[in-house]
Amino acid sequence: MGERILDIKDLVIHYETDEEVVEAVNKINLSLEKGEILGLVGETGAGKTTTALGIMRLLPPKVGHVIQGNIFFEGKDLMECSEKDMRSIRGKKISMIFQDPMTALNPVKTVGDQIAEVVELHDNCSKAEALKRAQEMLAMVGIVPERYKEYPHQFSGGMKQRIVIAIALACEPDLLIADEPTTALDVTIQAQILDMMRKLQKEKGTSMILITHDLGVVAEMCDHCAVMYAGEIVEYGTTEQVFDNPKHPYTKALYQSIPSLDKEVERLHVIPGMVCDPSNLPSGCSFCERCTEKRAACVEHDPWIVNVEAGHYAKCFQYTPEWEADKDE
Amino acid sequence: MSENLLEVKNLKKYFSTPHGMLHAVDNVTFNIEKGKTIGIVGESGCGKSTLGKTLMRLHEPTSGEVLYNGVDIASMPLKKFKKEYRSHIQMIFQDPYASLDPRMDVLQLIEEPIKVNDKKLSKKEVEDKAKEMMELVGLAKRLETAYPHELDGGRRQRIGIARALSLNPSFIVCDEPVSALDVSIQAQILNLLMDLQEQRGLTYMFITHDMSVVKHISDDIAVMYLGQMIEKCPADEIFRDTIHPYSQALLSAIPIPDVHAKHERMVLKGELTSPINPKPCCRFAKRCPYATDQCRQEEPKLREMRPNHLVACHYAEKFVK
Repeated sequence: MGERILDIKDLVIHYETDEEVVEAVNKINLSLEKGEILGLVGETGAGKTTTALGIMRLLPPKVGHVIQGNIFFEGKDLMECSEKDMRSIRGKKISMIFQDPMTALNPVKTVGDQIAEVVELHDNCSKAEALKRAQEMLAMVGIVPERYKEYPHQFSGGMKQRIVIAIALACEPDLLIADEPTTALDVTIQAQILDMMRKLQKEKGTSMILITHDLGVVAEMCDHCAVMYAGEIVEYGTTEQVFDNPKHPYTKALYQSIPSLDKEVERLHVIPGMVCDPSNLPSGCSFCERCTEKRAACVEHDPWIVNVEAGHYAKCFQYTPEWEADKDE
Repeated sequence: MSENLLEVKNLKKYFSTPHGMLHAVDNVTFNIEKGKTIGIVGESGCGKSTLGKTLMRLHEPTSGEVLYNGVDIASMPLKKFKKEYRSHIQMIFQDPYASLDPRMDVLQLIEEPIKVNDKKLSKKEVEDKAKEMMELVGLAKRLETAYPHELDGGRRQRIGIARALSLNPSFIVCDEPVSALDVSIQAQILNLLMDLQEQRGLTYMFITHDMSVVKHISDDIAVMYLGQMIEKCPADEIFRDTIHPYSQALLSAIPIPDVHAKHERMVLKGELTSPINPKPCCRFAKRCPYATDQCRQEEPKLREMRPNHLVACHYAEKFVK
């Protein structure tokens, strides 16, 4: 068992506005070992990005609140850190690649300056040294270092994403959170970026949380995989376990809804119903309205997380002894 | 063999830029049979959307012919096209978040194209037609007065489909209709499009960069690279035996949602080359691992390597399995 770098305990995040309270993340537990790549999968609104922002302590001010829970990073509780401490952690120890490269960069600063900014801030070096480092980073992500004087609009989408990655990696963070790093890109460029991230993980031992809704990317990149639904982790296990032997009805349904490259299907499977409203979560299982295997107990009680096999967990009553007993009645 | 609904011959669309002519669509020739779906795939910037918009005369073609039921719709005066043919050819746009007027409710949005295209209809007739369309695409009656911002992506895309269908078109250009949607919603929309095709005998041109989606919905698939069509074949053949090196690279780059899938990846070096004033050569030569001097000097022509399987590569014979 390796060393744990990140440990999230009972994290609850709400967005509070005058009209309603949106329960975005509900009591999630998650841990990450050093050098591991964890895939966080789920649909829009499942709470993936909110979890990531919670770890970075970058939730929108006034609206986003961590209601309870702890996030231990290298043994230190990030929830207890002062804003000053957080600043020294962000970018240096934990970095984040944001979803949309087109809007994540500052259009009026050269890309070299934008990379150098991080280095200057954290490594206490001169501007010249920082710029030199920026050029090295550009070379690493496959962009000619001489282009450091250019502005974001002079680069293509794939290159901009690589610049965002260069900024995130400039200080060699221990943990990298990548929020849909390749969603906006073409498959050929996506392949280049994923190759680069894998290389980093091998060479520098960087731990990563990869947020995506592309199950293909998870299958190729991740060691472990957590499936999120309505702010909860409904299934967690090694990528092999979750892909070969999905346990939660939601995970199963998700697989059936993607068109396959090698199988012929007449009609795609559709998950009936809609994602439940996060400002009005049901008292029972949040997936039960759409679940094909539900029973009375699912509507009344919220299921707990069941250990289905070594290292493989699912939040579903099906795998409890009571379920079998219920059937006999 | 059934008849061709659309025949595109040597279609070109060039844009004038300060640096020269940008060859967005260059000499594209293909046919679409009635009731079938052709999938157009390629990276961003390869001219997929421009091709779709040029067919619809949203861009004026530079040269070439587009025969719709035998009539050339590319060269007729735009006014005549709009009056007589626009309603036959409709388009579903990519981003359901950006393509709907935020200040119109669902019913108004669907009524708009009906009103514009037949000014003689009474208010009641327009409303009835719009309601019929809502039912057809599976939008609940209670949503009539909802505004786009209240709806999720799947429902918004249904509005886009209802708007396109409201004019009873026979040909629909679907420009990345599902790429902004989550997989479970994507499945709903794909099923809806396929059901509508069956019910109404629609013909689709399906533009996407998602290979698994295109394979699911298409009969034929055409691969585009820098404005040119470099391979066209039946949908099931493209995954079994693609011939063009670019198509092979494109396919090998798709991540497969199966942990045991071992596939060799052909990583393409570099980015797309500029489509401005391209030299006469194979446009893929710069990134192609097999490129020779011939590729750099001479433009390959589309050749039929197998029945119904066209490839533009000088060395296509080498890659046929």
